[in-house]
Amino acid sequence: MEFAWAAEDAEYRSELQSFLDTELADHWHGAVATLGSQENADYSRRFAGLLADRGWLTPHWPEEYGGHEATPWMLAVLGEELWSRGEPRGPQYMNANWIGPSIMAHGTPEQRDRYLPPISRGNAIWCQGFSEPDAGTDLASLRTAAVRDGDEYVVNGTKIWTSYGNIAEHCYLLVRTLPGDTRHAGITVLLLDLPADGLEIRNIPGVVGDHSFNELIFTDVRVPVANRLGGENAGWAVVREALSYERVGAPRWARASLMLDQAMSEVSDEGRTIDAVTVELVGRSRAACEAARLLCYRVIDERAKGLPPSHNANIARAAMVNAERMVASACVALGGSAVFEYGSTADHQLRKSLAAGIAAGSYEVQLNLISLNHLGLPKARS
Amino acid sequence: MNFELDADQDAILGAVGTLLSRHAGVERLRELGGDRPAYDGDLDGHLDSAGFADIAEPGAGNRLEAALVQEAIAMSLGSVASAYRLLVLPSIPTPIDGPVAVIPAGHSGPVRFAADASTIVVIGDHDVRLVDAVETTSKQTYTRLGWPAGTITDLPYGKVVADVRPSEVRAWVNVALAVELVGAMRFALDLSVGYVIDREQFGRAIGSFQAVQHGLAECAVALEGARWMTLEAAWSGDLTAASLALTHALDATELVFHRTHQYCGAIGFTQEYDLHLATMRLPALRAEALAHERPTAASVSQIWGVV
Repeated sequence: MEFAWAAEDAEYRSELQSFLDTELADHWHGAVATLGSQENADYSRRFAGLLADRGWLTPHWPEEYGGHEATPWMLAVLGEELWSRGEPRGPQYMNANWIGPSIMAHGTPEQRDRYLPPISRGNAIWCQGFSEPDAGTDLASLRTAAVRDGDEYVVNGTKIWTSYGNIAEHCYLLVRTLPGDTRHAGITVLLLDLPADGLEIRNIPGVVGDHSFNELIFTDVRVPVANRLGGENAGWAVVREALSYERVGAPRWARASLMLDQAMSEVSDEGRTIDAVTVELVGRSRAACEAARLLCYRVIDERAKGLPPSHNANIARAAMVNAERMVASACVALGGSAVFEYGSTADHQLRKSLAAGIAAGSYEVQLNLISLNHLGLPKARS
Repeated sequence: MNFELDADQDAILGAVGTLLSRHAGVERLRELGGDRPAYDGDLDGHLDSAGFADIAEPGAGNRLEAALVQEAIAMSLGSVASAYRLLVLPSIPTPIDGPVAVIPAGHSGPVRFAADASTIVVIGDHDVRLVDAVETTSKQTYTRLGWPAGTITDLPYGKVVADVRPSEVRAWVNVALAVELVGAMRFALDLSVGYVIDREQFGRAIGSFQAVQHGLAECAVALEGARWMTLEAAWSGDLTAASLALTHALDATELVFHRTHQYCGAIGFTQEYDLHLATMRLPALRAEALAHERPTAASVSQIWGVV
């Protein structure tokens, strides 16, 4: 047991920081970027392209797909540095982290040739068509139906809370191909190209960001069978594997820590003093971020050693939720009446923290899994 | 970065585990008085003769192995001042034999080990001083918080230790207290998890109720975070890391203290059940932590330069 960074990872971090300091200074407004905005998407293409030129967009990918098989620790450094600057890859972090690898693992040669190069060049925007109005945390109850008709599937149903649905060119779509209450056994993954005839995309005005969520309404949308990822009715295993590390793939603690720094910097710039109660809240919030950092590192260590995903990912994810919420409270306490200003640091962190316990698996599900797999408590009865 | 024990660390923990299984644990603590224990000089002696008391080299920046050993001692409910010996005394170049008590300058009121210590370490704003216990007057405090404690009167100024920064010693006190909190919390959580698995109400284990599960899972999240922060701080010796580790350990304490007692129900109120042997130590450690420079305010000052 020891906590030092390997020399090559420390060197990479330093090099990456220099690049980011230069590139982002004039082009990016940091942690208050709006999820799903056109501005965000446009910049992500420029930025992801620059990363790709340096071999930093998909460094962990195999060489044959444009990567150089970087270690999970190097990928963690990349994620940490980018999230602490507001994630300028925008939606493209999903492509690099799990959509691309999922296509590598389960795609046909044609699918790999078609979809992977744009991802590795930083020029593809994907969204994930998972949640439905009646299938959120219980994703296996999804009902969007895909019925085989010759060489095509005909898709009908509704997906909801789809970030980037308004700007994406592709959708990693979960559908039910076995009718009835077949749950995990009847799910298939389709790679849907957008726009598509019969697909209506509605913006859902939200409080997290102006264009954070969309609703995708499918009416007889035809998807070639050739766009199926993996086997028919075998989609649950495909997506479960793809997302196995995604609970810590987005190091939200790094962004929360940045927001706290920003709020403290504003206090300092304005020459304000802070009361003892707020000081306590600020210190405890930073401590919560540090706890989340180390708990995420423990998961990365498991991954680097080739161990299977464990309940430590659930612990890390729950700790990140706590950190984001505490930082939001601290930012509001520090900002005072500035919280009234839309887009202020306090306002922004408050809004982001709302989604902290929902995105990438609800907080309560994490607690269920920690109870079951870490503490060894008996399964709760339904 | 490696979150698993290496072979040496594994061997050290195996050896200290064997020692503790013979000379510490619930039964030993009950022999010593349970929640009002005497100081365990025998355990001190065994730790000393086996080489664990000096596991960190004098002046060592990395005291991770010492923290791991101390965590095991804390989980075994040792009634000794080993946390200070293993983690704080390596920062003090003067050789010190026997138990120590550590207090901030100007402290009044009960303090752990005061009546048993051979040396009182006094941490001031500008210096660190050693006071020979024979030069003080102290009396045992009647307390039921799981530690021997005493009140010191007539404390002389003592001898100033040369070439020691009070901030560094204070940081190691923070690490020492955080390790003790983590060890006691692990004992309490493990015991409570076992209890809710065994205890049935409404025809089922109470640990199968989601309300109980979530309460304990949140304890585990807080405790795991505090544990790794503490171990990293012991590895780095960084002042801010130490302040933040103790801050998070104190936060975790709030959850673990109340929830373990809540879920163990009335049996947790009794002296025959072991829970209180660990949980009642937590407020004592909290009081001691807050008697020194407040770790949370210190961390804010260390990071952002304000308080």
